[in-house]
Amino acid sequence: MTVTGAEAAEVREELRDVARSLLAGDPAPSAKRLASAGWTGLEVPEELGGAGVTFAETAVICEELGRAAAVSSFLGAAVLGAGTLLELSPSAARDDLLAAVAAGDATPVAVLPGEAGFVPSAASATHLLVVEPGGVTVAVPGDAGVSVEALPVIDETSRLARVSVSGASGGPVLPFAGDPSAVIGRLRDRAAVAVACDSLGAAEAMLETTVAYVKTREQFGRAVGSFQAVQHACADMLVALRVSRELVSAAVTAVAGGAPDAWVRAAMAKSHACAAAVDVAGQAMQLHGGIGYTWESGVHVYLKRALLNRSLFGSPAGHRQRLATRY
Amino acid sequence: MTDLEEYRQSVRRWCADHVPPDWRARQTGVTGAGFAQFQQWWFAELRSAGWAVPHWPAEWGGGLSVAEQEILYSELAAADAPRLVLQFVAIHHAAATLLAAGTPEQRRRHLPAILDGEVWCQGFSEPGAGSDLASLRTTALRDGGAYIADGQKLWASGAAHADWCLLLARTDPAAPKRKGISYFLLDMKTPGVDVRPVRNAVGESHFCEIFLAGARIPAENLIGPENAGWQVAQQTLGAERGLTMLELAERLGHAGFRWLVASCREAGLLDDSRVTDTLAGFETEIEGLRGLCRSQVAGTSAGPADASVVKLYYSELLQRMTDFGVTVTGVPGFTALAKPASSGWESGIWPLDFIGSWEWTIPGGTSEIQRTIIAERGLGLPRGA
Repeated sequence: MTVTGAEAAEVREELRDVARSLLAGDPAPSAKRLASAGWTGLEVPEELGGAGVTFAETAVICEELGRAAAVSSFLGAAVLGAGTLLELSPSAARDDLLAAVAAGDATPVAVLPGEAGFVPSAASATHLLVVEPGGVTVAVPGDAGVSVEALPVIDETSRLARVSVSGASGGPVLPFAGDPSAVIGRLRDRAAVAVACDSLGAAEAMLETTVAYVKTREQFGRAVGSFQAVQHACADMLVALRVSRELVSAAVTAVAGGAPDAWVRAAMAKSHACAAAVDVAGQAMQLHGGIGYTWESGVHVYLKRALLNRSLFGSPAGHRQRLATRY
Repeated sequence: MTDLEEYRQSVRRWCADHVPPDWRARQTGVTGAGFAQFQQWWFAELRSAGWAVPHWPAEWGGGLSVAEQEILYSELAAADAPRLVLQFVAIHHAAATLLAAGTPEQRRRHLPAILDGEVWCQGFSEPGAGSDLASLRTTALRDGGAYIADGQKLWASGAAHADWCLLLARTDPAAPKRKGISYFLLDMKTPGVDVRPVRNAVGESHFCEIFLAGARIPAENLIGPENAGWQVAQQTLGAERGLTMLELAERLGHAGFRWLVASCREAGLLDDSRVTDTLAGFETEIEGLRGLCRSQVAGTSAGPADASVVKLYYSELLQRMTDFGVTVTGVPGFTALAKPASSGWESGIWPLDFIGSWEWTIPGGTSEIQRTIIAERGLGLPRGA
């Protein structure tokens, strides 16, 4: 699909609106629901039943999932599963899986090197795409030597599992279309930026709900949002999110366009946006006062999601150390 | 090669030929006159290349696209070219005000003159009107075909060298405070105008007091309607901030960050992961700042408090970076007693740069005022008591 920049931006805004209202009604959409909304096939070629658009559109969904603190298989299956398949040399096996992803009939999940202990969406996966330097081995949960163990974590909105694939899975090794180390690097960038988008969306939701709360909550006879200490804390939240948004946008563009320095943009976006989201969610809890600390308020859901995101696919310090190799 | 890449190459070649390699040494310990002379020379050099006022409309000698301006500022920063300090108010604040609110005659009189080196300063703040600028008490009362100005202005950057001043003065003392202020173009040679430099915390005397005692301002030098000066100032100052920040972000990203890395390397600290963690954090924040500036200039992030977001973020980042520079260079960093004139806010002489960073967190609306603006205008929180 060839569109101009302005048209693409318009399409993304429409996608955002649709996603926001769908997730407001159903914050735990099934794989079928994700597929019928057209999200799992966003990057799948049109001839395979997808929309043939880019990571820039996928990123919109990631952000909205974060905003809604949604439970879904999108990160594991659509972002990383389909993303991995798209890096493979064309083959019938690859195309069949991509078509099944777009149709919602398969939820293949990527297992990146060194990440098998915490694989998003693996417990509900139909296929495990084990990424190795030589290519991808497709394993099926339930087969001999394949173990998938769901891992409950403190963030109840995430779905992580420990994956172990021992011995030959029987399936062929599907080769990458490009240089394997570059491909694996791109997949890691994709994962990092997707999580950064999620954190950005979650943090923006927290700022909005906090602003709404302090406008109406009254103490000492006036709205607490009129107190300078509260105002300045909210201002700092906004500034941190504006900066995050710039970094995340740049990273999304770089990943979508396959820019050579995409890893730099990804490291900056991941380290900043995920750390800022924890600060913002923490301030949201603080500014909601006692009510913010209750289970009922739901602020803790966002704080936990932001905390887990900060550690997933590379800590801020880890990403900054990579950046520092250039100095 | 794209047109923009060709443009970048042409700016780079020009910088290699025109930026004096020893200007920092020559501008260190220089007199006020030596500073002004050098600034006028550099401004003329940029003008002959067509880059003195890239952000102005084409009909007045500018007309570069945002992408070209970004390249220009980026290359000037990468080449460590001198900054335009003396002309800063003229090419940004004065020009923005003239273009937004000036009469055709006022524009014709001043915009070409600014290109020829006319220097401007800003007479806004007063001893009793800092953060609460609208409480200013300098008066300019109508007397036939003129206004007679009396009062005292403070923190007028570069007033000792200025030919003209952007002056806010009260023309209707009986009106509510924001409704009785007018905006004037004041000729600094007017009898009754007296300028006294104020030495700042770094030891420089860039700021000045301006005393006005019966200074006669011809009525044609009123800009915008009488008593609408507050609105004119609000409109024009926010609008030009993105442009000045675009350049400042590039300076911080190039020379500022590069020197910080160099200081760490010289101190043998680049294998200390705490140091490299901090450096990478700064690099990330600078990249975020650049994005904010680009969005603001391109008009893609039209939040009501964007100018405040950028100013607050830049000034506090500058302060944290220069503070880190001080810790990295340690006691030996304290032996450089003066930084070069004509340089940016980050000269690599970290203790002075750090102290000088309050020149950004205080003037132009303190960080506290910016946060209040962001909360009230940007987020719609109720006004404080």
